[in-house]
Amino acid sequence: MTYLLSAEHQELRAMVRELAEERVAPRAAEIDAKAEFPWDLKELLAKQDLLGICFPEEHGGTNLDGIGQALVAEELARVDATTSLIPLVQKLGALPILLAGNDEQKGRYFPRLASGEWLIAFGLTEAAAGSDVAANRMRARRDGDEYVLNGSKRFITHGSVANLVSVFALTDPEAGGRKGMSAFIVETESPGFAAPRVEHKMGIRGSPTAELTFDDVRVPVANLLGAEGDGFKIAMASLDASRVGIAAQAVGIAQGAIDVALRHAGQREQFGQHVTDFEGIQFMLADMAAQTEAARQLTYAAAARIGSADTAYWSSCAKLIAGDTAMRVTTDAVQVMGGYGYISEYPAERMMRDAKITQLYEGTQQIQRLVIARQLLQRAGIAERSA
Amino acid sequence: MANDIYFLAEYAEGSPSRSAIELATGAADLATQSGGAAVALAYGGGADEAAGLGAYGAQRAIVLGDEERPAITFAASAIAAVRDGQPLAVLGPATPNGRDLAAALVGSLDLPGFGPVRSIAIVDGHVRSEQATLQGSMITTSEPADGATGPAILLVLPSTFSPEERGATAELVEPARVEDGPFASVKVVERHPAEARVANLEEATVIVAGGRGVGGEAGFELLQQLADALGGTVGASRAAADAGWVPYQLQIGQTGKVVKPALYIGCGISGAIQHRVGMQTAENVVAINKDPDAPIGEFADLFVVGDLFAIVPKLIEQIRSRKGS
Amino acid sequence: MKIVVCMKQVPATTSEKRYGADFRLERSASESIINPLDEYAIEQALRLADDGKVDSVAYLSMGPEQAVEALRRALAMGGDEAYLVTDEALAGADEWATARVLAAALDKLAPDVSLMGMASDDARGSLVPGAVAAMRGLPLLSYGSELRLEDGVARIRRLSSAGFEIWESPLPAVVSVTDQVGEPRYASLKGIMAAKRKPLETWALGDLGLAAADLRGAALTRVTAAEPPEAKPPTERIEGIPPDEAAGKMADWLQARRLI
Repeated sequence: MTYLLSAEHQELRAMVRELAEERVAPRAAEIDAKAEFPWDLKELLAKQDLLGICFPEEHGGTNLDGIGQALVAEELARVDATTSLIPLVQKLGALPILLAGNDEQKGRYFPRLASGEWLIAFGLTEAAAGSDVAANRMRARRDGDEYVLNGSKRFITHGSVANLVSVFALTDPEAGGRKGMSAFIVETESPGFAAPRVEHKMGIRGSPTAELTFDDVRVPVANLLGAEGDGFKIAMASLDASRVGIAAQAVGIAQGAIDVALRHAGQREQFGQHVTDFEGIQFMLADMAAQTEAARQLTYAAAARIGSADTAYWSSCAKLIAGDTAMRVTTDAVQVMGGYGYISEYPAERMMRDAKITQLYEGTQQIQRLVIARQLLQRAGIAERSA
Repeated sequence: MANDIYFLAEYAEGSPSRSAIELATGAADLATQSGGAAVALAYGGGADEAAGLGAYGAQRAIVLGDEERPAITFAASAIAAVRDGQPLAVLGPATPNGRDLAAALVGSLDLPGFGPVRSIAIVDGHVRSEQATLQGSMITTSEPADGATGPAILLVLPSTFSPEERGATAELVEPARVEDGPFASVKVVERHPAEARVANLEEATVIVAGGRGVGGEAGFELLQQLADALGGTVGASRAAADAGWVPYQLQIGQTGKVVKPALYIGCGISGAIQHRVGMQTAENVVAINKDPDAPIGEFADLFVVGDLFAIVPKLIEQIRSRKGS
Repeated sequence: MKIVVCMKQVPATTSEKRYGADFRLERSASESIINPLDEYAIEQALRLADDGKVDSVAYLSMGPEQAVEALRRALAMGGDEAYLVTDEALAGADEWATARVLAAALDKLAPDVSLMGMASDDARGSLVPGAVAAMRGLPLLSYGSELRLEDGVARIRRLSSAGFEIWESPLPAVVSVTDQVGEPRYASLKGIMAAKRKPLETWALGDLGLAAADLRGAALTRVTAAEPPEAKPPTERIEGIPPDEAAGKMADWLQARRLI
C-alpha cells in the first residue's frame, strides 16, 4: 500500500508551512535562549485549530488522519522542535482518554482540549521507571468514590503548564506494574498536585520537562480510564499511536537543518569558490538529503498505517530510523557550516541539540529495537525465551 | 487632434505637481516626434493657472476644474476632453491619482492602457513603451494591439522625463464643465492634516530609508540628518511604519508608492520583496546592513556590511566636509 | 449587504517570502498562491463580515482552470462562495480585457461593494479597479487603508503626504484597498476543511453574455519584446573594515557618481 498526499493534505501543509515560516521561525532562537514555553505560539496554534487535530469533530476537533497529523508535526519541527511538540504532546496526553475513555469523560474534557484552551500531559515516567515502565511505584488507593494518588513523576513534558495529566499509578501494588497499574485523568488544579521542578536540558529548551509530585491528590472515580489494571496496556497503546509523531518531528528537524546548511554553504566562499562547489560537501549534502527522504517516506507510510494491526512495528521502525537520521543530519549540517554551524547566531547548533531527544523520548532507540525484534520473531513464529 | 500628446497635470494648493512639469516636457518632446501638440489636462487647486505649463513645453492647457477635490471626480471632464480631442496618447503619473484617472479613461473609452512605463517612443505613428515587470527581472516592450482604437493611455514613472525650461506660455482652454457620471459622487468628508507635512517621497531625488534595523524613532532622527546632508528625504520600510517609528506616509512599498530617486540609501532594511518593488528603479541603490546575507545586498549597487549607528555619523561628517570643499 | 472580492492567482516566485537572515525557505516555482495584495482585500471583507456589517462575502477570479486552488484558499480564510471565469479566449488577456470580464461578472453578481487589492503581483500599477468602475458606471474609492460601511455609504481612509482623508461614496461602489488594511489571517484548519464544501462555480464567457469578439482578441495592448534588463555591474561590497574607513569609501563612491 502506498500513500499519496490528497489536495487537502497539500493545503494543510501549505498553511502550516506559511505559519511556521512567518510566525514560529522568528521566535525559535529566543525560545531556546530563554528556555520559555511559547504561550503566544500555543495560542496561535490553538486559533488555527492545530491543537485539535487528534480529537473527534463532535467535540470540536478536526480529527485529521495520521498523515495530516504527521504533516503538522514535520512542518512545525522544520523551524522549531519545541513548538512542534505542542500538538504532539496534546495528542499523547489525550491518547489514554481517546483509547480507553468513556463518552462521559470525552465529553467532559475534549472540547477544551480540542480548542487548545487546555493543555494535557502524559504522566507515566518516574525517576526509577523510564524504559522499565513496569517499575512504576506511584500509588492510587481507593477511598469511597475517590482515588487518592501519592508519588511523583519525572521528565513529564508540559507537566508544569498542563491543565490535565493522564497519570498512571498502581491500584494493586502486589500485582506489579503490568497487571496492577491504572490510568487516571488528573486536573492539575487539584490540591496536593505540584510541579516543583523543571529540568535544564540540552535541547527543546522551550518545552518544560517537569517533575510532578502528588501528595494525597484526590481523583473522582469517574476519572478512572477503563478498568483497574488496564493501565499498562493503555500506556503502551498510547505510545504506539503517538510514536509516528515523533518520527515526523525528527524528519522535520533534519529537513530544517539541511535547508540552513545548504543556504549557508551556497553563499559562503572559501578558496575562491562557494562551499557547495566542493564535491566533498556535495556528497555530505546528498547523503543528508537521501537519508532524510528515506526517513520521511517510512514515517508517512507508518502514519498511513496507524490503527492497523501493524501499528507498533511500523511506528517503531519509523521512529528508529527518523531519530537516528535527525541526529546524523543535524551533526553533518553543523559540519558543513564549519564554525558558523557551532555558534548560536545560526540555528544549526540548536537543531543538533534538539535532534538528540528524538532518540530518547517516547521509547529510546533501544526499546524501539526490542519492539521491532519482538514483531519479527512473532511473525516468524519463533518463541521468545525471556532472559 | 490625432497626433497630439495629452498629459494629466495635477495641481494642488495653487501649484503644479512635479509630475505635471515632468510630463509637460516629456509630452512636448513626444509631440515633436508625432507632429502634434503637447496638451495639458489640468485639474486641482490652481489649475486655472495652467497656461504656466507652457514654460515646460505644453502648447495648450485644458482646464478640467480648479477645485481641491479628489482627482477621480475630474474623470468625466477628462473623458470628454479625450473623446473630443482623440490624441495619439495620454500620459499620466504613476501615482494613485494618476492611476485612477488613467483607469477611468481606459474603462470608459475602451482604450489600451500601459504602465508604469520607463520610456516611450513614437514608432510608425504609434506609441511604443518599455516597462519593468516581474520585480525588474524582465523588460517588456508594448504597443497597442491591432484591435485597439483610440488614444493610448500610459502611466509614467517619476523621473522618466526631466523638466526643461522652454520659455513659452500655453494656450488656456476652459471647456464646458462635465459634472455628471458616477465618479462625481465621490467626496471628501473628513480631512486630517498630518502634524508635520511629510515630504512627497515620489518626488524626492534622494531618499534615506530605514527599516527594522533602525530600532526606533531615535534612529530615524539620525537618518534625517543624513537625508538633510544629502538634500533628501527620509523613507521607511513597512516594518518601521508598523512599529510606529515613522508615519505611514513614509512607507515605501506596496501602498502604491513607487519611488525613483537618483540615490536611495537603505539602512537596516533587509530588502524583502514588498519593499523592493517600491524602490528598485532608483538609479543608485546603497544599503547599510549588519547582515551580510540580507537580500538587499543582491541588488544594491553598493552594499556596506556594518553597524549603521557607527557608519552613518561618520558618513555625515564626510559628506559635510566634502561639500564644504 | 454583499461584497465580492476580486482576486488573482499568481505564481509563487513573484512573492518570495523571507523571515530571517539565517533561515530562508523558498517556495517552489510551481506553487501558485493568491496575489498577495488581494489578500488584504480578502481580509478587509472578512473583517466586515466578522463585525456583522456584511451578510455575504464571495470571491471572483478570472484565470485558467487551476485558479480554483487560489479560490479554495480564499474560501479557507472565510467567505461563502466563489466564482471562476475561465475561457480559452481569455488567454493573454491584458488589464482592459480583464476589467471587461470582471465588470460583466460583477454586473451579474450585483454586490454592494466590489472589492479589490490595489495592484497585481509586482505592483505594476493596476488599472483594473478604476476601469471596472468606469465600465460598470459606479463610483471608485481607491487606495483605501480601511473600508467602512455605515449609514448606507462606503467610506475609505486614504493616506497622502499631507495626512489622511476620509472619502465617501454611495453604494454600490468599487473599492480598492492597500496593505495597510492589516495582516491577512491564516486559513485555519477548520477553514481548510470547510472550504471544500463551499460552492464554487465556473463560468465561461458565454455565461456572462460576452463573446470572444467583444474582447477584441483579449487585449488592446500587446507585448512585442521581453528581455532581461541590461546586466548591472555586480554589487560592490564594503565589509570587514572600521566604520571611519567604510564611511570614507562610501563618500568616495558617492562623489564619483556626483551624488554629493
